[in-house]
Amino acid sequence: MRAPGLALAALALLSCGSPRRGEPVAPPPRLGAEAQRGEAAFMAWCNECHPRGEAGLGPALNNKPMPGPLIAWQVRHGLGAMPAFPEETLPEPELAALVAYLKALRAGPAP
Amino acid sequence: MPQRRLALAALLPLLGGCYAVLPSAGGGQTAFEPPRRIDAADVAVPAGYRIEAVASGLTFPTNIAFDEAGALHVVESGYSYGEVWTAPRLLRIAADGTAEPVATGGRNGPWTGAVRHGGRWYIAEGGQGEGGRILRQEPDGRLTALVEGLPSLGDHHTDTLALGPDGWLYFGQGTATNSGVVGPDAAEFGWLHRHPDFHDTPCRDVTLSGANFTSHSPLEANRGAMVTTGPYKPYGTPARAGEAVPGRLPCNGAVLRIRPEGGPLELVAWGFRNPFGLAFAPDGALYVTDNAYDERGSRPVFGAGDLLWRVRPGQWHGWPDYSGSERLDDADRFGPPGGPAPPLLLRAPPNIPPAPAARLGVHSSSNGIDFSRSPRFGHVGEAFVAQFGDQAPMTGKVMAPVGYRVVRVDVATGTVHDFAANRGRENGPASWLGGGGLERPLGLRFSPDGDALYIADFGVMTMEGEAPAPRQGTGVVWRVSRTGG
Repeated sequence: MRAPGLALAALALLSCGSPRRGEPVAPPPRLGAEAQRGEAAFMAWCNECHPRGEAGLGPALNNKPMPGPLIAWQVRHGLGAMPAFPEETLPEPELAALVAYLKALRAGPAP
Repeated sequence: MPQRRLALAALLPLLGGCYAVLPSAGGGQTAFEPPRRIDAADVAVPAGYRIEAVASGLTFPTNIAFDEAGALHVVESGYSYGEVWTAPRLLRIAADGTAEPVATGGRNGPWTGAVRHGGRWYIAEGGQGEGGRILRQEPDGRLTALVEGLPSLGDHHTDTLALGPDGWLYFGQGTATNSGVVGPDAAEFGWLHRHPDFHDTPCRDVTLSGANFTSHSPLEANRGAMVTTGPYKPYGTPARAGEAVPGRLPCNGAVLRIRPEGGPLELVAWGFRNPFGLAFAPDGALYVTDNAYDERGSRPVFGAGDLLWRVRPGQWHGWPDYSGSERLDDADRFGPPGGPAPPLLLRAPPNIPPAPAARLGVHSSSNGIDFSRSPRFGHVGEAFVAQFGDQAPMTGKVMAPVGYRVVRVDVATGTVHDFAANRGRENGPASWLGGGGLERPLGLRFSPDGDALYIADFGVMTMEGEAPAPRQGTGVVWRVSRTGG
């Protein structure tokens, strides 16, 4: 009975922790051309609730072990308190760029 | 690999459920034992910069100012949320950090800013006691009002001021309420008991949609009774569909201006909520920070981030029906979890609001602003913004502390970067982290030579349940400069 509890606790930590990514605290992430475009979409639609990918009103985004398609699905459809961002708000190319940016945030600073 | 994806997909509900399951974790939701510890080593700034504390022991410092000689001054508020009243003061800070009063006000704080012009000080007096005023200090030291009776008896006050390139004094005027409707939250702030008839005033004529809101009265006269309140109305007064509300000056949620020698008040732009910080960019454009809606009161709004505006003269900027250029009646975006969307209050918007220059954290309380003008400091043309930090759970629940730092904003792209923030695995005020760094940055200003950024750190303000508990004597002024000259 103890193992499932521990696993759930680990998942909760995994889901809700907030590793720092801010410029004073850590070197900036390496952004390719697509991720740079994604940064603009992030600042327009995501930064309010997840400042620089950290937790805020919502959970941290920069430590989620989610593959790109799942990230895109959640952005498109929303989940829990998070709203959906339909195509008229976030066209497909912008969504792809946003996913690239979120992956770069998760990867952290350039080596 | 497929199994891994399946497992990750199974995680999705957990990720989405964090907000519903976890309690609020705001930066003020902590205990504090004085004295405040101050240690600049606990604050991280980018490589090539250093930060140091230059004054401490201040009570509710709100802003920074300089005289013609470049001498540092700091504004002490004289009032804080939590209904704590002290004497508002303008202090000259000596090189050794000691403070000497230059001007002292009465029970009408919060003082929110000061500028020096033509050999005189001009001070924005918030006006929680008697209404807001713009004060001028005469040569004999007396304070006289250029304008008084500004509608500042509610949630928000007369905000800081800035001298425009045209020689006018520009200042912000906050709204009476969170989202246009006086509710029981006004009693929790304290002001509804003092001023039960106070409400918002529009700057231009508006026509109401007819939306009304019911609540249990917190007033002694009819405590517990169900009352109905409309927008731009006193508590307990309903609105009618199609009702016209005349606009007039002074009004709420506006940027206003007045000549330093006095004269009539002029409207610059309206439709803001609480335009606390004002600064002119190197290109001469006026920018303001705008504290966005809270999830509280009779018309709670969820998920609206603070905004940085490039002010469009004459335009309405969206309050009380938009967040940026988005309508609030989108339940998925702005309805509290499990609740309805905020109904629109106006039959038609005065204009479609412009897009903001940048979006900042929900509940970050983004306030003081200034632009870097010196290549020696760097980031020329970027806006630096002080973030006071959340007041959760009073303003709404958060999953982690928001704000408590200084950010820089590329106003051309809307990109926001941290500039000064406490070290540690998590973000938060020093009292929450257990360190000696930033508490609640509120005002900031570059030195006249542009070489240093001065930050007014309001000090410790914890939340005791829903009530703010500000601590006198814990304010600090920080200076950020380049290393190596």
